[in-house]
Amino acid sequence: MKKNLLITVVMLSFVQVLYGQSSSSQSEKKRPNIVIILADDMGYSDMGMFGSEIKTPNMDALAANGVRFTNFYTHASCSPSRSMMLSGVDTHLNGLGNMDEWTAPNQVGLDGYEGHLNTKVTTIPLLLKDAGYHTYMVGKWHLGKSPELIPAARGFERDFTLLDGMGSYWDMTNMTALVPKSLYTEDGKYLTELPKNFYATETYTDKLINFIDEGKGDGKPFFAYVSHQAPHDPYHLPTEWRDRHVGEYDFGWDMQRLQRLKKQKELGILPESANLAERMWFVPEYSVLAPAARAVVGRKMELYAGLMENLDFHIGRLVDHLKKIGEYENTIFILFGDNGAEGNDLGEMIAGQPGSLNSLFFASKWSNNHINAWGEPGSYVGYGPGWAQVSMTPFSQYKGWLGEGGIRNALIVSGPINKREKGSINHGLMSIADIMPTLLEVAGTSYPKSYNGNALPPMIGKSWTKVLAGEAESPRTTQDYIAWELFGNRALRQGEWKLRWEFTPLGISDWELFNVAADPAERKDLADANPEKLKEMLGLWDDYVKKNNVVLPSRSPFEGLYDQLPARFPVDYGYPPLINKRQYTPPTELMNTPKEKKN
Amino acid sequence: MKRYIPKAGFSYFRNFAFLAIVLTYCLPEATFAQGDGARFYWKGLMGTNAIPVIYNSMGGNANPFDPSQKVIPGSNFSASMSMAGYAKMLPIFKRSAMISVLVPMGRINGEASLNGLDFSSTSRGFGDPMVQFTINLIGPKPIMNIPDMIRYKPGFSVDLIGSLAVPLGTYDNTSPINIGQNRWYGRVGLPVVWQIGSWVPGKRTTFEFVPAVWLLSDNTDFVGKTMSTEPMYQIEGHLTRDFMERVWGSFDVISYSGGKATIDGQEGTALNNLGMGGTLGYHMNDNMQLTLSYLATINDSKPEDLKMDGFRVTLLFGWHPLVEGMKRLKGE
Repeated sequence: MKKNLLITVVMLSFVQVLYGQSSSSQSEKKRPNIVIILADDMGYSDMGMFGSEIKTPNMDALAANGVRFTNFYTHASCSPSRSMMLSGVDTHLNGLGNMDEWTAPNQVGLDGYEGHLNTKVTTIPLLLKDAGYHTYMVGKWHLGKSPELIPAARGFERDFTLLDGMGSYWDMTNMTALVPKSLYTEDGKYLTELPKNFYATETYTDKLINFIDEGKGDGKPFFAYVSHQAPHDPYHLPTEWRDRHVGEYDFGWDMQRLQRLKKQKELGILPESANLAERMWFVPEYSVLAPAARAVVGRKMELYAGLMENLDFHIGRLVDHLKKIGEYENTIFILFGDNGAEGNDLGEMIAGQPGSLNSLFFASKWSNNHINAWGEPGSYVGYGPGWAQVSMTPFSQYKGWLGEGGIRNALIVSGPINKREKGSINHGLMSIADIMPTLLEVAGTSYPKSYNGNALPPMIGKSWTKVLAGEAESPRTTQDYIAWELFGNRALRQGEWKLRWEFTPLGISDWELFNVAADPAERKDLADANPEKLKEMLGLWDDYVKKNNVVLPSRSPFEGLYDQLPARFPVDYGYPPLINKRQYTPPTELMNTPKEKKN
Repeated sequence: MKRYIPKAGFSYFRNFAFLAIVLTYCLPEATFAQGDGARFYWKGLMGTNAIPVIYNSMGGNANPFDPSQKVIPGSNFSASMSMAGYAKMLPIFKRSAMISVLVPMGRINGEASLNGLDFSSTSRGFGDPMVQFTINLIGPKPIMNIPDMIRYKPGFSVDLIGSLAVPLGTYDNTSPINIGQNRWYGRVGLPVVWQIGSWVPGKRTTFEFVPAVWLLSDNTDFVGKTMSTEPMYQIEGHLTRDFMERVWGSFDVISYSGGKATIDGQEGTALNNLGMGGTLGYHMNDNMQLTLSYLATINDSKPEDLKMDGFRVTLLFGWHPLVEGMKRLKGE
C-alpha cells in the first residue's frame, strides 16, 4: 500500500510538472473531470452521428465536439465488457471468464471464472480515488452483489446502483422466480425500496447531478461512471416517449439497414466499399410480412427509438448541468455501448418453458404485454434479431456472439483530452480495456504492480492519449492483437484480420478468417484461401489462451442451437419468387370483358 | 428464436379479432329510458358487421316504447321486449361512420288511467324500426386495417348522430298503450368518448357522454286525439372501466328534460328526471359480447315524476371478413 501511495505521489508530481504548475500556484489547472456514459446494449449505428435515424442530438453534440471511433471493440456481453473496462484486465483473469449466469461445470471454482469482478484486480475508481478524484457511479453494475463486490467496495465514493444485469425501469421487479427482486445500493447500503417516482434513466441522472453538486466544494475533479440501463430490454419508457415514431418503422429492417448504411457512408463512418452483412437467415424478409405483423414488429423498434431518445434527453440534462456549473469545458466524455444490440429473446429464454417456475413468475410479473401496454411496468418487450441487426448496421450477428455485430461498438470521446479536429473520425483499433490505462494517464497516476498486497494481473489495454493528441492513428501496432472468448466462441483481431470460431449455425464450429477492413460484414471466409495467415493467427490465439488463463467451457448457451434454429441457407432477397412476385397486369389494349353466349 | 416472427406476427391476430368485435358495440339500442348504453360509440374495424339481440324488461309509470316518456300518473306499465338489428361500420369522407337499423318487438302490459278512463291493455308485435347514422367529427382516423386497429386509441372523440324512427310498428288507436308510436321521431346528438389513461385491455377507462335532442312529430290518432310533444333533451353519461381484459363495467347516469306532451290542447308537464344504474360487460369470445344493465330513476316520489326501472341483456354478434379469414387459416 505504501508503495502504491509513493507511486501515486510521484505520478501526481509528474503531472504537475507536465502542466508547469506547482501545487501552491494560484493558477493551478484542475485535472479534467471524467464522465463515462455507457448505454446498455446500444448498437453501433444507433446514434445519429453513426448513421441512425433516431434523434440523439445530445450524443451527436458530444460527437461534434469530439472524435468518433469506428473500430472500437467491447466484449460480446455486458458484465465481461464492464469488467474489462473497470479493471483493464482480460475477462479470464478478472473473474468474468464466463458470465455468472452461464458458468460451465468445468469452470466452477477456477480463478478468473468467479462470475463477478474478482478481488484480484483493482479498478479505475480505486486508483482515481487514490489519485485525488471524487468517484461516482449511477446505474447498472452487474459485477457482484455481496458487500465486498458492490460499487462502494470497488472504489466509488457515491453510488446509486442496480446490482443486477437487468430488470424493470420502474420498480424493483427482477426477471426470475428465484431472483424476483432487483437489488439496488445507494452509497454502499442496500436499498429496501426505491425513491418515489423512480424511473431508471431519470433517477440515475438526478442522483449523479446531486453527487456532483455535493462534491464540488473541495475543488477536486470527479470521475463519474454513468451506467445507464437504457436501452436494454424490457423497453420501459414514459408515456410521452412511446408514440414519437408511430408507423415509421413499418417498412422494416431491410430498408432501415440500407438507409443507415447509406448515411454511414455519407458521414464517413464506413468506406464506400462497405457492404451489408447477410440478414440472419431465420429473420424473414420484411416485405413478405403482413401489414399487421409489420405494425406489431415495427412497434418494437418505435419503442426502442423512443428509449434511445429518452436516454439522449437525460444525457443532455447532465451535459447542461455541467455547463451550468462551469465544469463542462473541463470534462472528458467517453460514450459507448457495452456490447452488440440485443437480438436474443431473453423473456423466451427465461420463461419460455410452459409450466416452469419462471413461466409462472412471468405470468405474475411480466405479462402486461398487450401492445398498447408496452413500456408500462410489467410489460416485457425487446425488438428481436431483425431490428438488432439494424442497430448493428452493417455488421453480422448481435449481442452474445463474436461477429462484429456482437463486439464492435460506436465510441465517442470529447473534452479537453481531445486535440484532434472536432467532429473528426478515427479508424484506429481500440479496445474497451484501453479505458483504464487512458484514464490513469489522464489522472496522472499509474497502474501499480500490486494493490492492497495482492499482485495485479497485467493490463491488456493501450492508452488513447497519443491518438487523441493526434500523434498516432491507433494505440496499437500492426502486431498487437485483441482477443475474445465467451460461451465457447472465440475471436482475435490483428490489423485488418479477424479469426473467429463460433458455434453452428451462426458460425461453423470451426475457425473462419475475415479481412474486416475490406469486409466488415464478415461475408467472406478467407481461411481456405489464406492458410498461412490462418496459421499465424492461430498462433496468436494460442498465445492469448496461454497468457490469459482461457478455459473453454464444457457447456454453452449456444450448444444445440443448430437444433433450435431453422436450417441455414443463404439469404437472397426476393427468393423464392413464389411469395415475392407481383400481380401481372396485361397491356390495356389486350384486355376485354367475357363474350356473352350467343342464343 | 425460431418462433420469433410467427410469434410477433400472428399471436396478435386473436387480439385483433377480439378488438374488432369489441369495438363494434355501437348499435342503437332504442330503449329510450335506458339510453344508448356505455361503450356505445367505440369504434371498430371498418367493414365490421354486427347483429345485436337485446332483451329488455322494464316497468314504471310511462310507456317504455314511447320516446317522449309521457308520464301517466297512477299507471303501471310492465314491458318485455326484444330487439334485433344490423349495423355496419364504414368510412365516409375519411371519417369513421356507421349505419344501423334496429327493430323492436315484444309485448307490453299496462294499466293506466287517462282523462278519467281506466285502461288495462296489452300490446304485442313489432315496434317502429329505427335507422341511425353515426359519423365521427373529432378523433382518430377510421380503423381501416389491422395496423390501424393496433394503433387505435380513442383519445377524445366526438361523433354526430342522426336517428329516425319510421312509424311502421304495431299501433292500436283505441289504446294508449302501444308498441308502435304512430308518428315519426328521431334525434340529433353529439356523443363524446374521452379516454382516461392507457388504452390497454384490462385497464381501459373512459368517460362518455351523449347530449342529444329528440324531435317528435304529432300522433294524430292517439285514442282519437292529437298528441304533440315538444323537443326532449337527453344527457347520458358513463364512467366505464375494464375489470379484466374481457370484463368491464360502468356507472351510468341519464337525464331527460323537456318533451312536454299536449293532447288536444291539454298540456302535460315537461320531463325532468334522472336515472342511475350500472352495466357489466363480458366479451365471451372473438365474436360475441354479453352485457347486463340496470337503470332506475331517482327523485321519483311525486306522482307526476317519471318512475321507471329496467333490466337489459344484450348479446352482440360481430364479424369481419378479414378477421374470420385469419381465424380460418389458424384452424379455429
